Amino acid sequence: MKLNKLLIATLVATYLVVPFALGGNSYVMSLVIASLIIGGVALSWALLGNLGGMVSFGHAAFFGVGAYTSAVLTMQYNVPVFIGLMLGGVGAVLSAVLMLPVLRLRGPYFALAILAYAHIFRIVATEWTSVTNGAGGIARIPALPTVFDYNFGSHTGNYLVILTMVLLFAWAYDVIRRSPHGLALRAMHDSEDATRVVGVNNTLLKGLMLLVSAFMCGAVGAFNAHYINFLEPDYAFSAVWVTIPIVAAIFGGYRTITGPLIGAVVVYLVDQLFIKNFMPTGHQLVLGVVLVVMIIASPDGLLGMIRRALRKKHAAT
Amino acid sequence: MTDLILQAVYSGLLQGGSYALIALGLALVFGAMNVINLAHGELVLLAAYIAYTVESQLGWNPLAAIPAAVIIVTITSSLLYFLVSRVTVHREINSLTLTFGVGVILTNLVLMIWSADVRTTSSTWMQEAFIVGELYSMRSEVLFFGVSLVLIVALWWWLSRSWYGRAVRAVSSNRDAAKLMGINPGRTELVSFIVAGILAAFAGVALFSYGVVTPGYGSVLTVKAFIITVLAGLGSIPGVLIGAILLGVAESLTITLASSALQELAGMGLFLVVLFVMPNGLFGVARRRG
Amino acid sequence: MLQLENVTVRFGGLTAVNDVTLAVGTGDLVGLVGANGAGKTTLFNAISGLVRPTTGRILFNGADVLKAPMYQRARMGIGRTFQIPQPMHELTVRQNLEVAQRFGTGSVDKRRIDEILDFTNLAAKAGRDASSGLALTELKALEVAKALSTNPKLLLLDEVLAGLETSGKRNFMNMLKDLHAKFSVGILIIEHDIDTISNLCQRVAVLNFGGMIAEGTPAEVFNNPAVIKSYTGGEVDHA
Repeated sequence: MKLNKLLIATLVATYLVVPFALGGNSYVMSLVIASLIIGGVALSWALLGNLGGMVSFGHAAFFGVGAYTSAVLTMQYNVPVFIGLMLGGVGAVLSAVLMLPVLRLRGPYFALAILAYAHIFRIVATEWTSVTNGAGGIARIPALPTVFDYNFGSHTGNYLVILTMVLLFAWAYDVIRRSPHGLALRAMHDSEDATRVVGVNNTLLKGLMLLVSAFMCGAVGAFNAHYINFLEPDYAFSAVWVTIPIVAAIFGGYRTITGPLIGAVVVYLVDQLFIKNFMPTGHQLVLGVVLVVMIIASPDGLLGMIRRALRKKHAAT
Repeated sequence: MTDLILQAVYSGLLQGGSYALIALGLALVFGAMNVINLAHGELVLLAAYIAYTVESQLGWNPLAAIPAAVIIVTITSSLLYFLVSRVTVHREINSLTLTFGVGVILTNLVLMIWSADVRTTSSTWMQEAFIVGELYSMRSEVLFFGVSLVLIVALWWWLSRSWYGRAVRAVSSNRDAAKLMGINPGRTELVSFIVAGILAAFAGVALFSYGVVTPGYGSVLTVKAFIITVLAGLGSIPGVLIGAILLGVAESLTITLASSALQELAGMGLFLVVLFVMPNGLFGVARRRG
Repeated sequence: MLQLENVTVRFGGLTAVNDVTLAVGTGDLVGLVGANGAGKTTLFNAISGLVRPTTGRILFNGADVLKAPMYQRARMGIGRTFQIPQPMHELTVRQNLEVAQRFGTGSVDKRRIDEILDFTNLAAKAGRDASSGLALTELKALEVAKALSTNPKLLLLDEVLAGLETSGKRNFMNMLKDLHAKFSVGILIIEHDIDTISNLCQRVAVLNFGGMIAEGTPAEVFNNPAVIKSYTGGEVDHA
């Protein structure tokens, strides 16, 4: 990975400057944390789209399963919270394994099938009351613990954890992308046969991408559970975890790794700071509009538009 | 016990009619444009809420809402078509995301205008019992089942006899060849969206007349319609009807034998079974998988 | 090495390949000719795994190939080029070969990739994006290079020369001859140009309407009246 100055500066800024500057303001910190959560989901969604070639409208399934897995394990089986985060990811992976047979469906069919799965998991969470406490939800989910004398349950602590998770995922995404597997996955989009004919097991690679995406999304979902400390089916599997990340990823440019993250921060902050004030109910409507406009005007997202504008300027001078 | 089952099957059968209308709309657009309209369920929902408005504001029977529902939903559907036709790059995936976005817009519009409360008809005429032998149903269920059958037959006739109908079939099987024969794909696609809108409008009014609606139900309807098309396989209207009835019956039996909360799971379960056991659907023609 | 036994491929009512029996030994250079629509590409599709034969057996070094999915056949040693080049877009030429090698053989050998790039005259364009900036000759060379990167024992070449002008054709033909000599692969090649086939191949099989109507040396086959008739209904045309 290229450690250039920009990257180092970003790392310093996010790890040191932000906590120092904003650590005291819990409202702002909560906004930042929430946008990182959205960013994590957006990243996992974009990974599945870019590398897996699959558009999913059901990532809420992974998010919810991860959240519930971790909540139940930490509360009923005394699993340490940090382990719970990872096991949340694992739980989401298991749910993704159930989805593997759907891989052979073509694009739109796959997207809808995943949506159906999301509905299924939501219903299971609502009905399996012995484990999930059904519609009543689970309250007082343990927060992140104090480790080495540092209280990760604080706003800054939560921030550092989610930041690290998201950066780790971004790094993993980059590693996969550059590997021969990543190359093969990208090549598959245009022609499935071009890769198969040279020995690439398309189905296996795509399946792996689904599992990776599920893990990331599930871990973020688990984090959210321990951050909000409350969980109930309609929230955990809400369409919000589908819509906002998709808008974020497309807005920021889903073909890049940083795109979804930047998009998440921008879209979420704008949504919370401006739109919610004008339209308390149905503020998601604006997101829908943004999505529609973006798809028509610039499927590559805002960054894509900017990049193209810069290229035109380059060509002219 | 058998009475219960028979009743459940009967209710499911009646429900299947409306489900078929919804699924056919989805299938029509997909056939003509290779686009799955993720906002289709919301179109149905819109019609249902229009019926609610007509009933609650004007005090009329929901049936009177049909003209208004048809007009408003087909206009919305046409607008949707114009948006989708603007998608140029990566058509399949981008139009999917686009219709998803429109679905979000519509769901939230419904939420904003009509609030999140559960709505259903309060018309006694609709709810009045209609008894056939030992089998009970609401008048609305039987009425709209009949309406659905009529519409399905009309659709089938239209697709096989009328010029536009045949054009839709031509465009879906080979767009360029259709152009060479003087068929304007754009107009054909618009027509398919409009017809889908008409079907959705009737289904929506039906839904309001014997069921309950909430803003979130649109997405559930789209999924159900999709499940039915998977059950039926591509290219078969009778298949869609039978698939829809199957879904209705499965749901109904689940409510009777298990619990009403598991109703949705019935459809999903059916969907998964078909996916694994009969990938081409019950009546579909085999096609190469991507 | 490659054994086709009574292979028939039927699509609904259409019989694309009709009861074809053919053998290609290690180190053989066999031509497959026939009029358009005779079933040649379909036969390739059956061997490489795009299409499943309705009846018949395909054995590769004794193993039943039909049990293996397409990607596994590549790993078994069956390489194949497509008539319309299918490069891996978004990847550079070198990356194309790297992916092919990595998945076709299981390991990466940079020297071999350089060797193949040199051999197919693509060394200069190694860093170029495969989806832009490559001429038709180069795209076709890339097809061959990709297939070579999987260390094939059998190479199926589908009309690699079609669309090239004369000098391009000549260079390519020389490359193919070298290929056969240097990399010790068996080659089964589909071509329309009779001169090319006569020059290149030890043996030729002729398909017509899916069935094999002749097999033998180029001289034998191209003077066979049935073959001449299948092509033109009259004279043999030296293109």
